[in-house]
Amino acid sequence: MNRKYENEEVDVVIVGAGAAGGVLAHELSKAKMKVVVLDAGPMRDPQKDFASDELTMKNLGWQDTRIVDGQDPLTMGHNNSGRGVGGGTVHFTGVFLRFHDVDFKARTIDGVAEDWPISYEDIAPYYDKIENEIAVSGPKYFPWGNFHGPYPYPEREPLSPNAYMFQNGCEKLGIESTVAPLAILSAPFEGRPPCINRGFCNQGCMPDAKFSTLIVHIPKAIDEGAEVLPDCMVTRVLMNNQGKAAGVEFIHQGKTHQQKAKLVILSAYVVETPRLLFNSANAQFPDGLANSSGWVGKAFMTHSSHDVYGKFNQEIRLYKGTPVLATTQAFYRTDANRNFVRGYTLHAHGARPVEFVNGISKSNEGFLWGAKLRETMLNYNYYGRITLVGEVLPNEKNTITLVEEKDEYGLPLAKVTFSFSDNDLQLISHAVKTMKEIIKAADGKPEFVVPDTAHLMGGCRMGDNPTSSVVNSFGQTHDISNLFICDASTFVTSGGGNPTNTVMALAARTADYIKQEMRARNL
Amino acid sequence: MSKRSHYPTYDVMKEKDEWDNHTQQIVSNRLHPTTSYSFLTQEESTILQTICKQLTGDERESLILYILDHIDQTLSSPIGEGQRKVGMPKAKELIRLGLEALEQTSQEKYQISFVQLDKKTQLLLLNQLSNEQALTSKWNFVPQRELFKKLLTLTLEAYYSHPLVWSEIGYGGPAYPRGYVRTQLGQLDPWEAQPEDE
Repeated sequence: MNRKYENEEVDVVIVGAGAAGGVLAHELSKAKMKVVVLDAGPMRDPQKDFASDELTMKNLGWQDTRIVDGQDPLTMGHNNSGRGVGGGTVHFTGVFLRFHDVDFKARTIDGVAEDWPISYEDIAPYYDKIENEIAVSGPKYFPWGNFHGPYPYPEREPLSPNAYMFQNGCEKLGIESTVAPLAILSAPFEGRPPCINRGFCNQGCMPDAKFSTLIVHIPKAIDEGAEVLPDCMVTRVLMNNQGKAAGVEFIHQGKTHQQKAKLVILSAYVVETPRLLFNSANAQFPDGLANSSGWVGKAFMTHSSHDVYGKFNQEIRLYKGTPVLATTQAFYRTDANRNFVRGYTLHAHGARPVEFVNGISKSNEGFLWGAKLRETMLNYNYYGRITLVGEVLPNEKNTITLVEEKDEYGLPLAKVTFSFSDNDLQLISHAVKTMKEIIKAADGKPEFVVPDTAHLMGGCRMGDNPTSSVVNSFGQTHDISNLFICDASTFVTSGGGNPTNTVMALAARTADYIKQEMRARNL
Repeated sequence: MSKRSHYPTYDVMKEKDEWDNHTQQIVSNRLHPTTSYSFLTQEESTILQTICKQLTGDERESLILYILDHIDQTLSSPIGEGQRKVGMPKAKELIRLGLEALEQTSQEKYQISFVQLDKKTQLLLLNQLSNEQALTSKWNFVPQRELFKKLLTLTLEAYYSHPLVWSEIGYGGPAYPRGYVRTQLGQLDPWEAQPEDE
């Protein structure tokens, strides 16, 4: 392996080149810091390594085995993680929503969860920055939350047949809906073309119309001098005898290497970040690094993400167009007339055959297989689909821990324990009812409800109090001043919408803080 | 199967030249599955073929062999299985033990091999498996529902990745570099499957 800084202490080493790692690498290298980014997976070339094929592109998800437990054991992989440079941004749907002001104040407003140590106003300028940086396309007026547009680029046009179905249904019911804000171009930008409605966002965008840090932030970081090392699995954060982070140890092609650094940032996402902290335990930090509070790996969240499939008399053709093009946040905020607090987003959501069959064959209606499934699948083109992104409340009993079983690197596997709370289940049942109503209003017949989840948040939550949180609002761990966590694991609550915009905005905020603290020689 | 395709003359492979090279290569290879397996034994592959026919509701050999090829590749690969419920056997063991238990159940109940059972009885046994009712002591060590789910997932993800099946269901298939132009409800690009229902 050719390395730039093999025997050198760099300014920053970043573990994970995903949504957050990409932004950090770009921002910090632009500030003339010596940056090394390590990623466990490959560096892919969209033209050669992507394909218009679901089965082949499953490898964009993190497929390493996790042990799952709890009342509602999670499906892990493509639905909630990425593998390789670009991380989850390589295969996300591109939905680019902001959290609302109420998302930072669940305790104050609803008496549940905890408030974030920051408010919407703290993060708003960073949403602006990120959205401008990648030319997010979206409606002229976005009806919900604190930001009403206009977006840097015009909304996508045309939409997909399934999105039109969704909008028709919503309109008949008087539910406001809009074209989704997307990290997908509606016009050329920085040499990248607008979307051609190919529909394979979840398999990796071949035309480069959809943003990912693989094609945007990482190449820019490399231009600024950052070193990006793919296929390097970080196994341990190295500590010096003053209790400070000294770098990381990693494995590349079976060989162990080290990278020394003044600052270590973990951007390895909700399972691997706590796992790495636990696996780096030493005599001084016997319960894992940055874990004096005992909150590492605790209260992680997912989004409830049930799908409702409806059958129509006319063709919909779920494979056509960007998967999510229409959305509503009409049910986002707590409503005193409902039997749950918080809320959700609904998306018109396209599906290719493998995802479709994987869903309907294991729906709430029971296993579907054999002749009956084959007959149902002959009508694949006659189905539409709506998907929930529902807030899940943090619960201390939902945890990331370790088990005895080891992976190929000899590291203990992560165990992911998850159960929905009553509030989560009430929210799901309300959302399922709404999705069915929209399908009916669009002249469809709801046929399958498929329980599912998407995204991961929390597990190393931020807070002002070092006894009940892992990091401060900038991602700096309370226990080790030169060890940062910057990914969705610092979320205090899940919000009721797709998290990528918030992950990247927080990363930009962390980058500003690091630059300022480095200049002031506080780091 | 009582119903028929809405698109009996549509053949997604006719559009192959419009696809990027990598995708062309991947999809074309599915038409020529290998029959030499690195994980599955001869016996296992025979039982598995019978199961796959039942799960898909399709007997066509070219499709079933492609599914077997996919399952064998998955089980012999070092790549992880995403998630595994606590206390459950690894996927490889689950399939191996499960196929063995299914065969022994058939032998105990009907004194013949699973593959020799009439189709109705095969269906009955698989149904019992999916409902955790394949009651013999052989199942003490094999989580039946997990096994059924794993077999179903592996089988269906391959079957619905086969271009013959894409044609049958009228799926447009790979769409790069072409994309879609006409995306209003009821609109079709000229190369998409045109419904041929009377």
